[in-house]
Amino acid sequence: MPFPDVKLANRPLHFLYLCDCSGSMAASGKMQALNQAIRQSLPGMAAVARDNPEARVLVRAVRFADHAAWHIETPTPVDQLEWRDLQAGGITAMGEALKLVAAALQTPPMEVRALPPVLVLISDGQPTDDFAAGLEALLRVPWAQKAVRLAIALGHDADLEVLQRFIGSEPATAGRSPRRPLQASNATSLAQYIQWASTAVVGAASMPASRVSETPLEPAAGNIPLPDLPPTVLDPTDDVGPLVW
Amino acid sequence: MNWILPEGASLGFEGLAAPLQIIRGLGGGTQGQVYEVDLQGERLALKWYLPACIARDGGLERRLEASIRATAPNEDFLWPIALLRASPASRPLIRLRQESFGYLMPLRPPAYVGACEHAAGRLAIGLRQVLRACFGLADAFHALHLAGLCYKDVSLGNLFLEPGSGGILICDNDNVAVDGADHGAVLGTPGFMAPEVLLGQARPGADSDLFSLAVLLFRLLTRHDPLKGQMELAIRCLDEPARRRLCGEDPVFIFDPLDDRNRPDPIEHAAALITWPIYPRPLQALFEQTFCRGMKQPSRRALTGQWKQELARTLDRRALCPACGQENFQASGAPALCWSCGAPLPEPITLLLARGAVLAAPDNELHPHHFDALAGEDLRRPLARVVAHPQDHRRLGLRNLSSAAWSAETHDGRVQPVQPGESCSLAALARIQSPSGPIAVQRPTRPSPAA
Ligand SMILES: Nc1ncnc2c1ncn2[C@@H]1O[C@H](COP(=O)(O)OP(=O)(O)O)[C@@H](O)[C@H]1O
Ligand SMILES: [Mg+2]
Repeated sequence: MPFPDVKLANRPLHFLYLCDCSGSMAASGKMQALNQAIRQSLPGMAAVARDNPEARVLVRAVRFADHAAWHIETPTPVDQLEWRDLQAGGITAMGEALKLVAAALQTPPMEVRALPPVLVLISDGQPTDDFAAGLEALLRVPWAQKAVRLAIALGHDADLEVLQRFIGSEPATAGRSPRRPLQASNATSLAQYIQWASTAVVGAASMPASRVSETPLEPAAGNIPLPDLPPTVLDPTDDVGPLVW
Repeated sequence: MNWILPEGASLGFEGLAAPLQIIRGLGGGTQGQVYEVDLQGERLALKWYLPACIARDGGLERRLEASIRATAPNEDFLWPIALLRASPASRPLIRLRQESFGYLMPLRPPAYVGACEHAAGRLAIGLRQVLRACFGLADAFHALHLAGLCYKDVSLGNLFLEPGSGGILICDNDNVAVDGADHGAVLGTPGFMAPEVLLGQARPGADSDLFSLAVLLFRLLTRHDPLKGQMELAIRCLDEPARRRLCGEDPVFIFDPLDDRNRPDPIEHAAALITWPIYPRPLQALFEQTFCRGMKQPSRRALTGQWKQELARTLDRRALCPACGQENFQASGAPALCWSCGAPLPEPITLLLARGAVLAAPDNELHPHHFDALAGEDLRRPLARVVAHPQDHRRLGLRNLSSAAWSAETHDGRVQPVQPGESCSLAALARIQSPSGPIAVQRPTRPSPAA
C-alpha cells in the first residue's frame, strides 16, 4: 500500500534577474551571451529545485534600458520557464528597475512566509537615472533587506561601485574575503557565474548544505552563507574564450 | 557542468596497475564531482575533490586512508575503496591548476534514488518499505558506532533508497572518523545538526549522530520535520538566524508531551498530523526521548540498538485493513481502527515465537532474532514469510525460506512436512516445529456466546 499521500510543507523562494539591456549590451555579443547563459542554466536550476522539496523556486526577470519593465512578470516555477531573448537598445534605467523590484517585494504581493529571495543584477555600464533613489526604495522593503543580493559586472566598463552598493558592504569575516561584484570578462565566465547563482546559491537559500567549521555559524555570517565560487576549471576547448569584453 | 576529469578518457593513477576510464560525470556538489568509471570491466564511482575543499579540510586525506584500511561497517555504505592521485602522465589531463585527489567507491545501482524523492512525495513506496529503510539506517549506524566511528553529516542528501525493497545506501562517507578524534572540518547540515553542534558548543560525534539519525528517521516516517510547527510558522523569512533559533537556541519537538508551543498547524503541517498516529507508542517514545530530554542532554538520546529493536517490532505488528488494504501497525490485544479509513481492524492471527510475536499479514517475515536471544535484529536473512493464497487472498500461509524442512501440526494432531520453498496454510495449523524453534499459531479469541 502506498505511503500516505502527504507532502512536505514548503516555502516559496523568489529568484529575480535584473538585466541590463542598454545599447552597449549589443556590442561584442554581450546580450546574446547573457541570453545563452541564462537559458543554459535553467536545467541545472530545475534540478536543484527538484532536490530541495522544502522550497518552491519561482523565477522572475526585469529588463532595463530607457525604462525598466518586467520581462517575466509572473513568478514562474523554474521547470515551466521559457527564456525569451532580451534585446539591447537604449540607456540604463537601473534605478527604475530597483523600484520595480521593490514594489514586487512588498507584502502583498509577496507571501507572508518565504525563504530569502535571491536578486541577481547584471550590468555592463553605469546607471543613467537616479540609482540612489532606486536603491533606497529597494532597501526599505524588508524582503529586499533579507534577500541574497548578487551582482555580475560584464566587461570593464561596468560600474563596480554601484554594483557593490547594491549587494551591500559586508565586513570580511574570518577566512573569507568581503563579497564583491562578480566580474565576467568573457562569455564563459558569465555562464559560470549565472550557473553558480541559479544552482549553488539557490540551493544554499532553500535547503542548507553541509557546514564546515570554517563557515562561521554565528549570526554575523549574514542571513545565508554563500557557497564557494565555481573553481576555475581549465577549459581545453575554450582557452581564450570566444569573446573578451 | 564543467567536468574536471575528461569524459571518455583513460587516466592513470598512482598505485593503480590499470588505467581508469572516465565514463561520464554523475554530479557535482559543494566538495567535488562524482564520475562513473570503469576499472578493467568493473563499474565504480570516483569522487574528485575541488582544491578549495582539500585546502579547507586538512585531515581529509588521513581520514580517507584510515577508512579505506578499516573497510565498510556493512554493505549499505558506499565506502571508499582506494585513494587516487593522478600519475605524472595523466596530470596534465586534469583540468585544474592545483594538485588534487579523489577516491574510488562502489557505484550506486540505478534502482536507488535520492531520499529527497520520498520527502517530496514523488516516490511510489509503501509503509513497509519505509520502515525497512529506517531499520537499515539504524542498522548501518549501529555497525558504524560499534566500530568506534561516527559519521558527522547525516542528512537526507546522503541517503539513497530502493523503493521496491526499502534497501538503503549511504554516500559521502568522507567525514567518517574515530569518535572523539577531532580532525574534521564538517559540522553537519542545518536542520539535521544536534543543537549543541549548531550552537558551536560541541564537535560532531556519535552523540550528535544519534540526534541527526532521529531527525532523518522522523523525516522518512512522517515526511515532515520534527522541529517545524507553530514556531516555524511565526518566522517570516526562514534564513540562517531563524534556523539557528528554531533548531539551536530554542528547539521544541512538535509532539513534545510537556511543551505544546510548537504543535503542527492543521493545514501547513498536515503531513505530521496524518502520519505520526500511524506508528506504535513505543516507536513514538524513542522520538520523544531523543527530541525532549535528549534535545539538551546528548547522552539521553535513543541509541541505534533501541531504534533497531523498535523498528523491527513495528514491522512485526504490521496488519492490513480488510476494508481499504492500508498498512496498520497494531498494538497487541487492544481493539483498533484503521488510521486511513477508520474501519475496525479484526484481531489478527499471531505467530508466537521464542523472542517475540509476528502478526500474520502478507510479506511479514520471521528472522533468526525471533528465535535466538543472541542474534541481533537483522532483516537480511528471513526464515519464513507470510504469503497470501494465490487463489484466495484472504487465506494466509507461511512459506519456508530456510534450508531445512519444518513439521507442521494441525489442530487434530496430524503432522505434515513443509519443505524449503513450500508454504503451509495457517488456517488449520496449531504449531510448526522448525530447526530454529517452535512457531505457535494463535488465532483470535472469538467472543463466545454467554453461557
Ligand atoms: N557512489 C556513487 N554512485 C553514484 N552516484 C553518486 C555516488 N556518490 C555520489 N553520487 C552522486 O554525485 C553527486 C555529488 O555527490 P556528493 O558526494 O554528494 O557531492 P558533495 O558532497 O560535494 O555535495 C550527487 O548527485 C550524488 O547523487
Ligand atoms: Mg553531499
